[in-house]
Amino acid sequence: MISLVRAESLKLRSTRTAIGMGIAAALVTVVPAVLLIAFLPKGTIGGDEARSILIAGSSLVTYIVLVFGILGMTGEYRHGTITYTYLAAPRRGRVMVVKLVVYALVGCLAMLLALLLANLIGAIGLPIRGVSYPTPDGAALADYARQIVTAGLITAFGVALGALFRAQVVTVAGTLIWALMVEPLIVAFKPHIGTWLPFNVFSQVISLRIGDTGATTDGLSRPEAFLVSIGYIAAVSVLAVFISMRRDVT
Amino acid sequence: MAVIEAEHLSKRFGKKVLAVDDVSFSIQPGTITGFLGPNGAGKTTTLRMIVDLVRPTGGSVRVLGGRYRDLARPTTRVGALLDASGFHPGRSGANALRVVAASAGISYDRVDAALEMVELEGAARRAVKGYSTGMKQRLALAAALLGDPEVLLLDEPANGLDPEGIRWLRTFLRARAAEGRTVLVSSHVLAEVEQTVDDILIISKARLLAQGPISELTRTAQPVVRVRSPQAEKLEGLLIARGAAVNRLHDALAIRGPGSAEVGEVALAGGVVLHELLTEQPSLEDLFLQIAGTRREP
Ligand SMILES: Nc1ncnc2c1ncn2[C@@H]1O[C@H](COP(=O)(O)OP(=O)(O)OP(=O)(O)O)[C@@H](O)[C@H]1O
Ligand SMILES: [Mg+2]
Repeated sequence: MISLVRAESLKLRSTRTAIGMGIAAALVTVVPAVLLIAFLPKGTIGGDEARSILIAGSSLVTYIVLVFGILGMTGEYRHGTITYTYLAAPRRGRVMVVKLVVYALVGCLAMLLALLLANLIGAIGLPIRGVSYPTPDGAALADYARQIVTAGLITAFGVALGALFRAQVVTVAGTLIWALMVEPLIVAFKPHIGTWLPFNVFSQVISLRIGDTGATTDGLSRPEAFLVSIGYIAAVSVLAVFISMRRDVT
Repeated sequence: MAVIEAEHLSKRFGKKVLAVDDVSFSIQPGTITGFLGPNGAGKTTTLRMIVDLVRPTGGSVRVLGGRYRDLARPTTRVGALLDASGFHPGRSGANALRVVAASAGISYDRVDAALEMVELEGAARRAVKGYSTGMKQRLALAAALLGDPEVLLLDEPANGLDPEGIRWLRTFLRARAAEGRTVLVSSHVLAEVEQTVDDILIISKARLLAQGPISELTRTAQPVVRVRSPQAEKLEGLLIARGAAVNRLHDALAIRGPGSAEVGEVALAGGVVLHELLTEQPSLEDLFLQIAGTRREP
């Protein structure tokens, strides 16, 4: 197990994918926060807006870690390294569990850093615009914690989807099309179904308390959304482990 | 005790493709076994079944007394170089091997040793995407050697190697066998195999057609009678009429079936002048073509 964790961490450190994803996550955090702070008319920034500015980029970070998870798994099939992985560790279930856990942790870490970065920008930028930086209170910290955990779960979700579908480009494109186009359409036209779809459920977990638009009256409560998220991720992960154990590697 | 033991091993992909059909063989320690067969015969599939990458649909295979997945730290016991495996193009050669070493719990010292063995030290820090075909093959070979295994499974290891590399590989494999290690190597380069291996397995269209020591198999194979004659065409007709298999190129004939005495008598009876008449022990290539056939199913 330890050696598998070491191998995963070396895999992450020895290519540019992780760095690229880190840069992308930093950009989607910094750019919206800076733009909002710089260009919002002075009177319109109150405490609540200030707080939402700070997490403006974080929903994009969840898509980045999702793609990161998919790339991490499908890359093994694409480059044929899965053969070496399974030769060294023929108990494939363990390999998959380690990968899911390692990627979940990386996803959490990415969101944690994104939130820290956003708060740093807020603490510096807001006072320049004459708005005081809202020091995170207990509720804000709870929001952050939810976002961090959800980012980890979504990264693992990406790994599991990658293990199921294997084809890199198809999986990335298919997942993004589903999350960004198909689900929103279903949510718009069949909200009672849409409420239960995975990416909508994830966003209900992390939807903001302030100026909340995510959870509508017929939406799920936070604990419900969280449980359903866990259910989705557990189901897809178990399926991924199960299928990986049975599949021929040729 | 056999190092590798396949019993009625079969693999079906989907409904249509029977890749390996009821194959049984056993491989003894300290031997080099050549695994021969035309394209699509089932060699790679068989090798992948030995290391649990492909699940048999029938029969079983044991390596070092058990299933591959039950071996403790399997890559330190069995090293495999397999077709269609690869490395991340963005990783350096050294890092690619470190990843393999890390997953197997092998010390990084072995990475340098393996790179040195395949003479890739110079390129170790370069990204794999800049490697030539032969360099990638050497890296794959280094990956197989990383755990200093007692069993080596090599799927067309000579692919992309230059003549010097091929000669190195031959010496290297012989030295391994001399240490009591066991090698199973698939190859299309029969001349190479002939000089290297002790035993052969011949597989064609998913079925195992021959197995045994190479010397024995070539001895029992039909010899070839070679003839040169200015009336080669006439002699060819006479021999074919007697049921012999004949190949003619200008004035030279290669005859399978009748012995040299019979060919000489046929020539005399037919008034055919011979310039040369000799019997040739078949090479591995002749044997292979005899057993596996040259034509593939349409
Ligand atoms: N994943 C797969 N799905 C379907 N068919 C497969 C798969 N892998 C191999 N086959 C089929 O199984 C048969 C045996 O293939 P295999 O790769 O074992 O042959 P081989 O002897 O290694 O050939 P070569 O000398 O060309 O490498 C072929 O008909 C091939 O098309
Ligand atoms: Mg092959």
